[in-house]
Amino acid sequence: MNSEICKILKNKNLSDDFYLLKIENNFKEVFLPGNFIHIKIEGVFLRRPFSVAIYTKKFIGIIYKKIGLGTEILSKKRKGESLNILGPCGNSFPIFENKKVALISGGTGIAPLIFLSSELKKRKNKIYFFYGARNKKLIFSEILPSGIDYIFSTDDGSFGQKGNIFDIFKTYKDDYEIIYAAGPEQLLKKVSLYSSKKPVYISLENYMACGMGLCYGCVVKIKEEGDGKYKRVCKDGPIFEGEKIIWE
Amino acid sequence: MGIEKLRIKLGHIELKTPIIMASGTFGYGLEKINFIDYKKIGAITTKTITYYPWEGNPQPRIYETYSGMINSIGLQNPGVFYFIKNILPKIRKKFNKIFVSISGRTENEFIQLIKIMNKEKIDALELNLSCPNFEKEQKMISQSSDLTYKIVKKIKNETSIPLIAKLSPNVTNIKEIAIAAEEAGIDMISVINTVKGLCVDLKKMKIIDGGLSGGCIKPIGLKCVYDIYKVVKIPIIGIGGIIKGTDAIEYFLVGASAIGIGSGLFTNSQIIDEVIKSLINFLNKTKSKNLKEITGLLNEKKGKNR
Repeated sequence: MNSEICKILKNKNLSDDFYLLKIENNFKEVFLPGNFIHIKIEGVFLRRPFSVAIYTKKFIGIIYKKIGLGTEILSKKRKGESLNILGPCGNSFPIFENKKVALISGGTGIAPLIFLSSELKKRKNKIYFFYGARNKKLIFSEILPSGIDYIFSTDDGSFGQKGNIFDIFKTYKDDYEIIYAAGPEQLLKKVSLYSSKKPVYISLENYMACGMGLCYGCVVKIKEEGDGKYKRVCKDGPIFEGEKIIWE
Repeated sequence: MGIEKLRIKLGHIELKTPIIMASGTFGYGLEKINFIDYKKIGAITTKTITYYPWEGNPQPRIYETYSGMINSIGLQNPGVFYFIKNILPKIRKKFNKIFVSISGRTENEFIQLIKIMNKEKIDALELNLSCPNFEKEQKMISQSSDLTYKIVKKIKNETSIPLIAKLSPNVTNIKEIAIAAEEAGIDMISVINTVKGLCVDLKKMKIIDGGLSGGCIKPIGLKCVYDIYKVVKIPIIGIGGIIKGTDAIEYFLVGASAIGIGSGLFTNSQIIDEVIKSLINFLNKTKSKNLKEITGLLNEKKGKNR
């Protein structure tokens, strides 16, 4: 993990409170799907973690939602301003070849799955990308990789099928070999409890302080001998096997 | 003039720099963090170790506030036996000086820990006397000068490893506690541990009752160091709210012989480099030979009793 100063290349409002932030990629280390960056935002004490959505040699892209003071300040940053960023943080999704895989995303969960889908595509996987959002405005088609089968759903039926993305997912023939999911905790919980016969990998979110594995603030309980054990989302995660999570 | 000016002596312990990583905010120092220059760290204080493994507290464990954060981690650690077998050898490879933080729920647990640590090559033991976990009543040892004296004295009789007392700022009179620790034979004092505080998460409708750290507690830490310096002769490690380089200078001026960096690293990834730079600049600017010359410079007791 490194700490770099990166210039903002783009900080664009996608719709409502959602933004796409592109920064220069000044990192020597390679990022893998599932990794996050930890951004210092002047005006708040702790850094803010964001999954990497787009990754190239030249730039890194994240998608964020304005939910508090930190992201409010971030949303006002302009092209040319610089940010201090830690990365790559956390572990990454296991990636296989020539498999039939399902990606299930809700809300900002789309971010790590975009990066993941582009890598899965390179490795000749057959991808079914289930993408749910509240309404049409929150389906960010412009940043989705091409050549992938998308199944969209919105709560109000304004785009794709009407309903919750997990319910839609269940109506499809389930012969996927691997399932990946990211998004709201309720969605991740449902996907994790859905099947124990095939691997389910989820990207967890949590309040974080250090982002470096030092403070044990962001832990989640994982099944281990005895009553389970608290593992760090920032270091041992954010990617976990769904069946190993003890949901509190 | 460079970094060699920053060498210090804490009792008999020689440190290359006065930067000590504070307990609980640097894990066991084993994470691979490329932007940290480990040569600039004088010593690491480990996350607190207990006799048995501790699971730690359920979520929520952290919450942010103005210029700081509340934590309620609950001393999650794998226990002393696992620590010695699997963690300590790795710390030795990476750090020049190792301070191991320990805590016990009973006097006996402290003594058992000391007996185990006596066989290990470490540079100091930091007694975490400022966590609210002691005995059935969940006391905080360092909130009572009698209890502080009693525990430190018992431990001192069991070991020749240098001892540091980590004290809480949540007391009526910190001087009494520091005096009690010194009279019982403690070698050093580190202040402050976190300040008791509470945050309310309106979204989740939950409270986070824990310890406050970050820039907002610096004045409290400075005041404790200032007060303690006036009444003890042993070295003080100043901790609390060091988030930029010049914060460290302030701690020396009021009486610290070394400083601890905690959650400052979370908000400022360059804090170690900044502290080194600020201290060297300050020594050069004031034509001081070493940090000892500036320790307590702004304390009314500078020179007296020392």
